[in-house]
Amino acid sequence: MNAPHPAGAWDTRRRGRQQRLERAAALGLARRVEAPRVGELLEAVIEPGDRVCLEGNNQKQADFLSETLADCSPERLHDLHMVQSVLALPSHVDLFERGIASKLDFSFSGPQGGRLARLVQDRQIEIGAIHTYLELFGRYFVDLTPNVCLIAAHAADAAGNLYTGPNTEDTPAIVEATAFKGGIVIAQVNELVDTLPRVDIPADWVDFYVVAPRPNYIEPLFTRDPAQITDVQVLMAMMALKGIYAEYGVKRLNHGIGFDTAAIELLLPTYATELGLKGKICTHWALNPHPTLIPAIESGCVESIHSFGSEVGMENYIPARSDVFFTGADGSMRSNRAFSQTAGLYACDMFIGSTLQMDLAGNSSTATLGRITGFGGAPNMGSDPHGRRHASPAWLKAGREAGGPNAIRGRKLVVQMVETFREHMAPVFVEELDAWKLQESMGMELPPIMIYGDDVTHIVTEEGIANLLLCRTPEEREQAIRGVAGFTPVGMARDRQMVEQLRQRGVIRRAEDLGIDPRRANRDLLAARSIKDLVRWSGGLYAPPARFRNW
Amino acid sequence: MNAPVANKLVLRRSYFEASARARVAAVLDAGSFREFLPPEASEPSPHLAVLDIPGAFDDGVIVGAASLGGRPVLVIAQEGQFMGGAVGEIHGAKIVGLLRRAVQDKPAAVIFMADSGGVRLHEANAGLIAISEVMRAVLDTRAAGVPVIALVGGSCGAFGGMGIVSRLCSAIVMSEEGRLALSGPEVIETVAGVEEFDSKDRALVWRVTGGKHRYLTGDCAELVEDDAASFRDGAIALLSGWQKPMPASSTLRAEQARLTERRQRFAGLRDGLDVWQALGVAEPRQIPLMDRDSLVALKKGLPA
Repeated sequence: MNAPHPAGAWDTRRRGRQQRLERAAALGLARRVEAPRVGELLEAVIEPGDRVCLEGNNQKQADFLSETLADCSPERLHDLHMVQSVLALPSHVDLFERGIASKLDFSFSGPQGGRLARLVQDRQIEIGAIHTYLELFGRYFVDLTPNVCLIAAHAADAAGNLYTGPNTEDTPAIVEATAFKGGIVIAQVNELVDTLPRVDIPADWVDFYVVAPRPNYIEPLFTRDPAQITDVQVLMAMMALKGIYAEYGVKRLNHGIGFDTAAIELLLPTYATELGLKGKICTHWALNPHPTLIPAIESGCVESIHSFGSEVGMENYIPARSDVFFTGADGSMRSNRAFSQTAGLYACDMFIGSTLQMDLAGNSSTATLGRITGFGGAPNMGSDPHGRRHASPAWLKAGREAGGPNAIRGRKLVVQMVETFREHMAPVFVEELDAWKLQESMGMELPPIMIYGDDVTHIVTEEGIANLLLCRTPEEREQAIRGVAGFTPVGMARDRQMVEQLRQRGVIRRAEDLGIDPRRANRDLLAARSIKDLVRWSGGLYAPPARFRNW
Repeated sequence: MNAPVANKLVLRRSYFEASARARVAAVLDAGSFREFLPPEASEPSPHLAVLDIPGAFDDGVIVGAASLGGRPVLVIAQEGQFMGGAVGEIHGAKIVGLLRRAVQDKPAAVIFMADSGGVRLHEANAGLIAISEVMRAVLDTRAAGVPVIALVGGSCGAFGGMGIVSRLCSAIVMSEEGRLALSGPEVIETVAGVEEFDSKDRALVWRVTGGKHRYLTGDCAELVEDDAASFRDGAIALLSGWQKPMPASSTLRAEQARLTERRQRFAGLRDGLDVWQALGVAEPRQIPLMDRDSLVALKKGLPA
């Protein structure tokens, strides 16, 4: 199917599409397909060797279509090349174990990382590449265009128009690539309605839809319970706010999803406001609707948030704050991962997130042995885009710190925020990343490094901030990292004299250098200390999922 | 934008999360606290040392004198972050000594910041004897005309022997986050099975032992927000109107009769929700989300 053009034939994809539709019509399958017949539909319109995009987003999953595809006959459907953002569900991996699919291009595998690694070692799967989201979306429009895509929407009307609602996520990118290159679009929806709140995907881009037996699965990935934030994380958040956010005047940014950055979000109405930073930092975001940002929004610290996807429990809060979030005329949020990732890459001045391991060059990785987890979007946002041309004070200041007063470009701030030890006393700072061993055991072309060291500008730990922009040699960079690595073996092996010199130059700054009293660093500074506090801040609009409630 | 709510939330300092020393500093008049048996004069538990368990110089309780709203008070504050605030021999002796001093000195009140799962089992009989001595000392103090006000809002609540001690006090000030009961949730589950009580169902635990439930059933006199300043205000409010007579046998009998009647009335109910319904609350499911003021207003409107 994906062979180059045979001589003189320029519309093989269109004619192929027509044949597929005719096979479905011959089985009596119309635009609206009943759930029990979806297996027949998939076997009729998918051909062996096809590239199939199965919508698996960070949150929303086309789980019914995925399970149905996994249950198809491997005699009929085999050697499929799956292209999908996230490999999250057991049925995604079943496709390979059952011999239906054989090749995979993806971004993130999360919970299925262990099974995926075993399949690679057993040679049951060929991995094309592990991408970042933007790369994969880009390749949908270049050389990984799907023949068939299986997507998830919230609702359809009789004509086949789709409402994807707050969790629009990857759908527009997938459908656009498929529908406009002779492909077939099949959607699962939670419900069929007479009138949609709004049309997110027009019916003439959609070939088939099915009302799934149960609503598509959505994972609350971005809810962090403030009760679990520690005093040490509060201290690190204070240092980041005073030593980075304030100094560079960071207004446009993206946050990771860990507790470290949740602590920063919860200090915006308290500590940051006390420092006079309200309106001067953190006004514009590319960010999922983090519940921990509610106090900052309610306090007037935030002007705008564009989101990759939505978050479970925020359905009533977002429409009530439409000045802040992107919402449709119907009131509900519209997310879009491709646009928000683009915003995170090019329009933001800072990315700040956490990692599991960092080496002495500042390379960081979340890879662990025996698991292939991929990258998601962190490398898109956690990298300095050399294509950027517009200036901002934060970008210029960072660029001039790195390249001197005559620097011809700015720098994005890429900040890694970690405690020196993670759980089970595993040191975050290491001489060599596990990623290298993983590369060897999996036969990969590159080690799975999440954020490259040369993109990292600052490292924040409980011991202080290392500003890598000001390092002039690899040796200085190494000592700057050792100098904030605490009591890890890497930190203990520091050259004390050199670290002290770096501190004199302001390359390393401790809490006291920043005028921060560590005794103030306690949870009382958090604007919310529990999920229930977040509900109170929201005036009852935020409705946390049951697992986060203790009332 | 919800500015008044916002400011209130920002300014709150959690009593639940605070250490005993932070509570003492925040609840009593600023700078008024004078510790008896300060760190250099106190000693850690000899029983824990024998077991090779690290002790604490104050054995998990702080005692001293202070003023509260200008009135002289004696103070007990248990440290829930040391061995769950459990009562061992020295811990108990410090409390008993403080209460005996109250009988002598006749302060305006004893403020008892309870935060304890009960007896320190490591100390076996010494712990059991200690807590029974505390119970007697509380009653002696009340009999001497000195009210003993328990504040219950710590992360360990007041369970086991400390549940009994708290109810022996003249009055209890409690936050929603506070918990008060005899057997702790884990104990009930271990003894009677998860079908009887699921200790991991945190919402259920609070519906059965938490401050709102205790307030609706009349077990605590004041319900306050989880904020050290609110506990302070609650305790001051109780003391300024203090007219409660010393316990006489007739009042004790009346109280006993009330509790017997309550036990029969609520027999068989398995959840705070059922109890609240029986008390006449129209929408029991709304209770967990209500703020303190709304709940106090709701209780006023309930049938007596």
